[in-house]
Amino acid sequence: MPGSLLTSLRRLACAALAAVVLATTGAAAAALPGVAGLADLPQRWRDDDGRELVLAALAGERVILTMAYATCHRVCPLTIDALARMQRRLDERGEHAQIVVVGYDPANDDPAAWRQYRRSRHLDRPNWHFLTGDEASTNALAHALGFDYWRYDEHVMHELRALVFDPRGRPEAALGPETPDWASAL
Amino acid sequence: MPAPFTPLLRVLALGLVLAAAPALGADGESAQLAEMQKKLDKSLAMIEALAKRVHELEARQTGASVAQAAPAPAATEAPRLEAVEQRVQQIETANAARRGDDTSLPIHGFADVGAGTANPFTNELKGAYVGNLDLYLTPKLGEHTLSLFELNFEVGTDGAVGVDLERAQVGYQFSDAATVWLGRFHTPFGYINTALHHGNWLSTAVRRPKFVQFEDQGGVLPAHTVGAWLTGSTHAGDGKLTYDLYAGNGQEIIGGVLDMRNAGTVHGNPMVGGRLGYKFAGALDGLTVGVHGFVDKVSDDQQPADLTRVRMLGAYAVYDTDTWEHIAEFYAFDNESLAGGTGTHRSEAGFVQLAYRLPRGAVYGRYERASLQQSDPYFAQMTSVDSGASYYRTAVGLRFDVDLKTALKLELANTHTTDRLVNDYNEAMVQYAIRF
Repeated sequence: MPGSLLTSLRRLACAALAAVVLATTGAAAAALPGVAGLADLPQRWRDDDGRELVLAALAGERVILTMAYATCHRVCPLTIDALARMQRRLDERGEHAQIVVVGYDPANDDPAAWRQYRRSRHLDRPNWHFLTGDEASTNALAHALGFDYWRYDEHVMHELRALVFDPRGRPEAALGPETPDWASAL
Repeated sequence: MPAPFTPLLRVLALGLVLAAAPALGADGESAQLAEMQKKLDKSLAMIEALAKRVHELEARQTGASVAQAAPAPAATEAPRLEAVEQRVQQIETANAARRGDDTSLPIHGFADVGAGTANPFTNELKGAYVGNLDLYLTPKLGEHTLSLFELNFEVGTDGAVGVDLERAQVGYQFSDAATVWLGRFHTPFGYINTALHHGNWLSTAVRRPKFVQFEDQGGVLPAHTVGAWLTGSTHAGDGKLTYDLYAGNGQEIIGGVLDMRNAGTVHGNPMVGGRLGYKFAGALDGLTVGVHGFVDKVSDDQQPADLTRVRMLGAYAVYDTDTWEHIAEFYAFDNESLAGGTGTHRSEAGFVQLAYRLPRGAVYGRYERASLQQSDPYFAQMTSVDSGASYYRTAVGLRFDVDLKTALKLELANTHTTDRLVNDYNEAMVQYAIRF
């Protein structure tokens, strides 16, 4: 029966595809030396609606991950602008990605603060996630990503950095002030 | 060593894929293949995360489980895995905390240099100047125990390099709502003194308003206090309520400079004060308003010594957004001479600074005025860099962010001194400020 044969062939093709992918899973070496994969990062965060978000659950699409703090008016607006340009580039291409912003300052960057941040800057796309964690997870995340930061009273001294992870959670590109056009990394 | 659970997880994922495969018989095969690829990628990422956790667990259990019996039956795997996951989560949290508790102590800070027709603190000096080198250390002592040390190297108006243990605080954080600090801290009044104290890179302007400069640079307020400080914040409505309460050594005026008495006071009188602020959210996001005040007994080094009860009450407002940075502070003094018998004296000081943020910097303008009673021993004895004199100043400036760690600033100012020595002078200065 042709229909049955076709179904079997498709199953076989899928199985082969899955097998190839699975066989390489263990060798998911970091494309960027020294940068952790998405699965190696602290996983549990709270989004600006107060819901728990597991980072690995965002895999399946590219993930663009950065850190910021809600009362930053020097570096973070540049970061958000750069992310917005990346979003426009993705839209032009009809591609999807998850854009994740994790707060440097968990004591102040709680879900309510991020909700306000989104509202005031019209960042209402559902694929943008503004996350809050505890102090330890925040430190661990910054450490794993190689994002240097330090606090000075109510300020957080930090860099202009983001990482792009491929749909399987492997680091694909590191973006910084030296990257003239973040959207070109896509 | 391969993890025994990893193949199991992979087989599970394979099973999921195979089970979903019949759906490919429908139309739009390529779209469905893409969708399936996406799901597969997502599953793989989750599998990797799970496999990693299992690896960690196995590594942890290797020594203890070698002599144990055969693996548990499959029916018991789910709760066991759940327990394992919980345990690994605990380990992750502990490791994260440990990473944050790094025993190394990175040193960060700020520095600046400049030049102008006048030194930022006294118009008697012209040319190039070395500003501050501020080193900032925050060794983490424990989950709730905090410490903060700040060393400041600055060049005085006599050209000598002075070293200040600018801040030396050890604290305990009960929660976000309450942290208590002991030691020498920045006195919590207004906005600038705690938010933009040292680190000229942080400030939009080249310098602070004259009357809120540091004690040895023309300021008339006790910018530092040695004592205890309770601070915290809590949500109130849509916004946040912040509070500060402090008590410390009463100040003394020594050599014409208000001194915070790091080692204690001769007169033994304390200073007590507080600040209450509200940070708005919603349509007024970025706006903070507050009140502040303190009572202090200040002596001096005259013979006989004056003793003044200094009472300050004031208010401040800040509007800080991605576009604007506006700051206003007001201080009213109602001082009473306790030793000199000259009665009570009322003085006031304030400033308004408006700034518009540019993509790489800001432009700003500031007006500041201080009307300080010269019959008040508190102001009359502040003679260093003419600190206790009345004046008003208008300034405009530009900040250009050369890069994310370097700012170049320009300020033009006109100052009128209005009592001790009536004078009018203009200043132009540039400053190069960095953070590191």
